[in-house]
Amino acid sequence: MHILAMDTATNGCSVALTDGARIAARRSAPMARGQAEALVPMIAAVMDEAGVDFGALDLLAVTVGPGAFTGLRIGLAAARGMALTTGLKCLGVTTTEAIARGVDGAGLDGRRLLVAIDTKRNDLYAQMFSPAGQVLGQPEAVRPEDLAAFTGNGPLMIAGDAATRAAEILRSAGTQADLAEAPGLPDAAMVAAVAEQRWQAMDSGERTKLAPPTPLYLRPPDAKPAKDGGGLRPSRPSTP
Amino acid sequence: MIVLGIETSCDETAAAVVSFSEGAGGRILSNVVLSQLDEHRPYGGIVPEVAARAHLQHVDRLVAEAMETAGVKFTDLDAVAATGGPGLIGGVIVGVMTAKAIAVAANLPFMAVNHLEGHALSARLEAEQPPEFPYLLLLVSGGHCQLLTVEGVGRYRRLGTTIDDALGEAFDKVAKMLGLGYPGGPAVEAAAEGGDGARFALPRPMKGRPGCDFSFSGLKTAVRHAVEKLPEGSLEAQDIADLCAAFQDAAADTLADRTDHALDTFMDAHPGGQVLVVAGGVAANEAIRSRLGKLVEARNFRLVVPPQALCTDNAAMIAWAGIERLGAQGPGAADGLDFAPRPRWPLDPDAPAAAFAGVKA
Repeated sequence: MHILAMDTATNGCSVALTDGARIAARRSAPMARGQAEALVPMIAAVMDEAGVDFGALDLLAVTVGPGAFTGLRIGLAAARGMALTTGLKCLGVTTTEAIARGVDGAGLDGRRLLVAIDTKRNDLYAQMFSPAGQVLGQPEAVRPEDLAAFTGNGPLMIAGDAATRAAEILRSAGTQADLAEAPGLPDAAMVAAVAEQRWQAMDSGERTKLAPPTPLYLRPPDAKPAKDGGGLRPSRPSTP
Repeated sequence: MIVLGIETSCDETAAAVVSFSEGAGGRILSNVVLSQLDEHRPYGGIVPEVAARAHLQHVDRLVAEAMETAGVKFTDLDAVAATGGPGLIGGVIVGVMTAKAIAVAANLPFMAVNHLEGHALSARLEAEQPPEFPYLLLLVSGGHCQLLTVEGVGRYRRLGTTIDDALGEAFDKVAKMLGLGYPGGPAVEAAAEGGDGARFALPRPMKGRPGCDFSFSGLKTAVRHAVEKLPEGSLEAQDIADLCAAFQDAAADTLADRTDHALDTFMDAHPGGQVLVVAGGVAANEAIRSRLGKLVEARNFRLVVPPQALCTDNAAMIAWAGIERLGAQGPGAADGLDFAPRPRWPLDPDAPAAAFAGVKA
């Protein structure tokens, strides 16, 4: 089956068109910003190189976060717009799952995997995976001082663009942790692979009912409700 | 010609389908708008991140609704137009990405429309007597307050702009101070009805000065000072009514004075010009409309105010601006799929940026 997958949720922009295990075409570039400009031309280039048109696609896939709010909205808005136009279904994949998928299971050697993603703040986005690549719990925003408790005892392998920082934090907490050999950013081909596996596990009823993917922000907007609605004077008690 | 429009630059998520033919002119086939009032109300104003999240949540569904109401398929479209700026960038990005995705998947031209151009040309859509170029435009909304000469599609000359707050923003802030809630425009107008505008003396910022620039920050501060002088405790309903009436009078007076100057400048360049268009959400205010109505009557001009649904933010005006551009420039009017959404995007690139006005200039 043909899957068009994309990621713009962290520090890169990546698009892949897969046909089963084969990657028919792929584009990716590291970038902290500029995905709104780069993404759709990359999609056009991938479709062109693979010689596939939108009518021949079977599924869309996109990362939903955790990551940069603006970044993950770029991919989600594009993927949902495309799903609407083509009538295709679209599966959402977390950035942590996509990164974990890129880690060679043999290299884990029986150890659990931590995927750690940069939040551009003090905390980290983190999710744990079993040695066989199964998710263990949800992705969370974890403060450095809570990371050792979040991961549990080592030994661990770590992947993601905050892997080096996470390793330092864990080692200083006495947890044995080593860096996995894997790309630090989500790769759209891995997004497609995760999506395909999930799609194959769904029955036709689940596929039909599949709702558009929604963002995984893990953090509310930075805004506080205004006291007294911002009024200069206390409001009058409303009369019944 | 049929164009889909998408608007996500502030706190309305909107999609519309507009058609054009030589015989029938512009026709709105659908125009759906989802206001985010409930999402922003707890914060007493628009929170950009809250807005961006809401746009993503709703925009694809609204596009589907607009297409269905219009009874058209993506293959029936001639182009997809989205607001490319200026505005809250997180929201603009959501609309632009949605439009680019539709364009690439349906093999359609993509157009990034300047939100201000949408307002500037909206008076020509479904009007009984569409204004011919050139005309004078007063664009007065929550995000903008400008006087522009509209010489033609893509040809705008800015005569004046606010140097600080937009007028709609000042309405919102005054409403917030007085505990009237958000959005402030309709609340202030309603409260002003029973008010005595003469009880509080408020300034007319910039009135009598040369040029056509606006300033509303001082007027807002004057309302604050007037409140501080009132007895302690909750405000009486009459205080609120009188303050709102005084604020509205001052705003209308200032707009009229600045527009009067702009009419002089406009007439010097275009002696045959006859039309003043007032667009933007604040154009819905009756007191302001009637004050401007008197002004144009005295000057022998015609006042054109688009219907309410086209004055407040909407996507029909974005689709229409796309149609006008395609009409004026042909297929070359399309933008690249690498278009970068713009937080700032002045309509008149030659006009200097105003000091404190941010995107409002």
